[in-house]
Amino acid sequence: MKASRNWSWPFSIIILLAIPLLFRDNNYYLHIFVLVAINIILTASLRAIASVGQISMGAMAFAGIGAYTSAILMKKMAFPFFVAFPLAGVASMIAAAVIAYPFVRVTGIYFTMLTLFLGEVIRLIITEWTSMTGGSSGMLKIPSIGSFSLSGINVDFIHLVPYCYLVFILMALSLLFLYRIDRTQIGTTLEAIEKDEKVAESVGINVIRFKVLIFCIGSFFMGLAGSLYAHHLRVLNPNSFGLFPSIYIMIYMVVGGRKRFSGSIIGALVLTLIPELSRTLKEYQPYVFAAVLFLVLFLLRQGLVDLVERIETRIAKGRERRIEHA
Amino acid sequence: MLGGLVQAIFSGLASGWIYVLIALGLALVFSIMRILMFAHGEIYMLGAYVVYYICVKGGISFLWGILISALALGILGIFIEKVLFRPIRGQMEPAILAAIGLTLVFQTTAVIAFGSYNKFIPAIVPGVLNIGGVRLAWDRMLIVFLGLVLTLGLFLVIRKTKIGQAMLAISQDPNAAALQGINVNDISSFTMGIGCALAAIAGALMGSLLNLTPQMGTLAITKGIAVIVLGGIGSVTGAVLGGLILGLVDGIVPLYADSTTAAIAGFCVIILILLIRPKGLLGHD
Amino acid sequence: MLETKGLTKYFGGLCAIEDLDLTVRKGEIVGLIGPNGAGKTTVFNLVTGFLRPSSGRIAFELKDIVGRKPHEIASLGMVRTFQLTSVFQDFTVVRNMQAASHLDPKVSFWEAIFNTAGYRRKEGEIKSRLLRILDFVGLGGVRDTVARSLPHGHLKMLCIAIALAANPRLLLLDEPLEGMNASEVNTTLHIISEIRKQGTAILLIEHNMRAVMTICDRLVVLNFGKEIAQGSPSEVQNNPQVIQAYLGDEDDSAELEER
Repeated sequence: MKASRNWSWPFSIIILLAIPLLFRDNNYYLHIFVLVAINIILTASLRAIASVGQISMGAMAFAGIGAYTSAILMKKMAFPFFVAFPLAGVASMIAAAVIAYPFVRVTGIYFTMLTLFLGEVIRLIITEWTSMTGGSSGMLKIPSIGSFSLSGINVDFIHLVPYCYLVFILMALSLLFLYRIDRTQIGTTLEAIEKDEKVAESVGINVIRFKVLIFCIGSFFMGLAGSLYAHHLRVLNPNSFGLFPSIYIMIYMVVGGRKRFSGSIIGALVLTLIPELSRTLKEYQPYVFAAVLFLVLFLLRQGLVDLVERIETRIAKGRERRIEHA
Repeated sequence: MLGGLVQAIFSGLASGWIYVLIALGLALVFSIMRILMFAHGEIYMLGAYVVYYICVKGGISFLWGILISALALGILGIFIEKVLFRPIRGQMEPAILAAIGLTLVFQTTAVIAFGSYNKFIPAIVPGVLNIGGVRLAWDRMLIVFLGLVLTLGLFLVIRKTKIGQAMLAISQDPNAAALQGINVNDISSFTMGIGCALAAIAGALMGSLLNLTPQMGTLAITKGIAVIVLGGIGSVTGAVLGGLILGLVDGIVPLYADSTTAAIAGFCVIILILLIRPKGLLGHD
Repeated sequence: MLETKGLTKYFGGLCAIEDLDLTVRKGEIVGLIGPNGAGKTTVFNLVTGFLRPSSGRIAFELKDIVGRKPHEIASLGMVRTFQLTSVFQDFTVVRNMQAASHLDPKVSFWEAIFNTAGYRRKEGEIKSRLLRILDFVGLGGVRDTVARSLPHGHLKMLCIAIALAANPRLLLLDEPLEGMNASEVNTTLHIISEIRKQGTAILLIEHNMRAVMTICDRLVVLNFGKEIAQGSPSEVQNNPQVIQAYLGDEDDSAELEER
């Protein structure tokens, strides 16, 4: 992994930070900005859970738990956002912790099936619990993030630009946490578990505990993403958290590339932008998704991030050659 | 009251056999090609729409329509296997994702081509048989009959024919089967074809009971997976048992509780089975 | 250090291990030998928690370990290798070692996340320790090679290195010399004796009789799951029952007779 002179990251961050300002008059673009951020968190969380080799088809269900928790806390109990937000993550994490121990003992395709059915159960429970969630007719008039005063500084998040920056910061913090997990010994252990559980056990790795740990952590961030979603759209519908939305997150993860952390960012970014920017072709958007998916499956097995790497390598090689000839 | 229960049971049996047909196709493809063919539900949906268009719009008799639909989608299945799944044979993750891609393509095509408004295939055989106040619909009886016949037929094909034996061999060990001279490519295509044909038939039959929507496949695949989890992968009898049990539950529970609670309970049972006995009731492997 | 009493394992109706009393004391190198299929790897599996015994007791450093999970037993200090190279094939040599060394020293989760100075220091310490082990086994030069592309001898050595990374007090080696040529065997034997000198006891399954005779303090001979002899190499070598057992196993018996 080359860490030395990688200018692309600081550069992209600067660009990203500039976007809300550049587009401050275009509510639609700012809306997309927020959606991308939410999807990035979701994809990175799913990837974290998948890093031990457990592919979940229930990602949006946990986001849904977070979304509704946050919405209910703010709407019905007048909690401020900065309390509801972390509690949303906690709610998802608790739900995950409850089912984690039995679930992680199951491997492979059976685990995926489990998450599929769990996702449906969660969606149905949300639909059924009409008193709290408004059921299938949805929950309306969810408060937005509101204002925030701290020693004289008054930030009003009703205005989209500061709101975008807030979302960006929350996303960056989440990503930082997940990235650190990936980068450290924990990430190595998780990858080792995915490669060969038996060998991992024999060197003392408590496989079950790590699987539970990462499942809960991933679900926590999915809950956070759900909260952002709830207060952004201000309307919730249980069907937004069903099977197909979860499958979409899976596709973001695969298309971006599961191996590297940045894959989740790229996948979520590209695949959120495509349908939103081609509104006229909204009907045909699943075709584009399927096409990109097939492209990755058959040509770019490691995902789009692999393409980026290849381009980077080619640029670096070109630079080397030029230096040699100089 | 009892009459209502009997009718519910009967109705449940009919949908149960349809679930069996869905599950058989799915399990077949899963056992022999190691693919969880997620798009199986979409084939089911397409099967229903094909019958709708050639029977309701085209005026062909229903049974011929089912046959044509099964054939057409069987051929589509063979094509899909050759083009999509053969290059990635043996790798489970890409295969599921490819199947998901297919699902997107088929469902979107259906929405665009057929529109989202519900369509309806009239009953194959109209009318009811009235036994002492209990009304048993003829079309449901036909469905049960067809379900039985097709399941038996499949069972016999697997047990008694060379192709069936080849399929069994591949499901146990593809490499050993290849070494024995079995043409894994052809058998895989054939399996996919049969699986899709069964899905198409199931879809057409269900289409005559309920409405057709482009999204009907999603429920079908969920039910299909639930059946094979319940009954056990690799077991024809298990698929039958699982399908009928689920069908009966779907028929009877709504009498006593609302459908959402029933669905939640059903899924929880499936989850428990996956946790405790992933092999299902009768599964081996 | 390691003690089994009456260890028995049935697979269905088949008795794989029958009433085995096995001891490994501190600083010993004990060889577990026997013809193919005698159950040697099964003993490893039982003792390290990968299989549950049907009956009998197993104690490690006087603690009862029956029923404990493999990772618990490994963290108690008994680490094993597997017969077929038990490495993470897709990782580089260094990464393999890193994956195995998570136990020592115990790094806190939060320290890692926040990349504290304490964490960075510990990471550095771990890394230098790992590199020392690699140099010790002679793999220092290939540290960035992917395990999959290593030659067979190096792979077997990596197996041992990984086990060492997990800081064992008792090392269980399952056929560490398999597939090695003469010079590789000598190197490995030298390393094994060095490991013993550093305070780790070793229990070893091997078919290479010459090597076994050279390096082991004591031998335990298994046939059909039962212990048929125990003692020093020279005692065991001349034991008629042992010779009888190996007569069915031609390669080993020829080697046995040669000495």
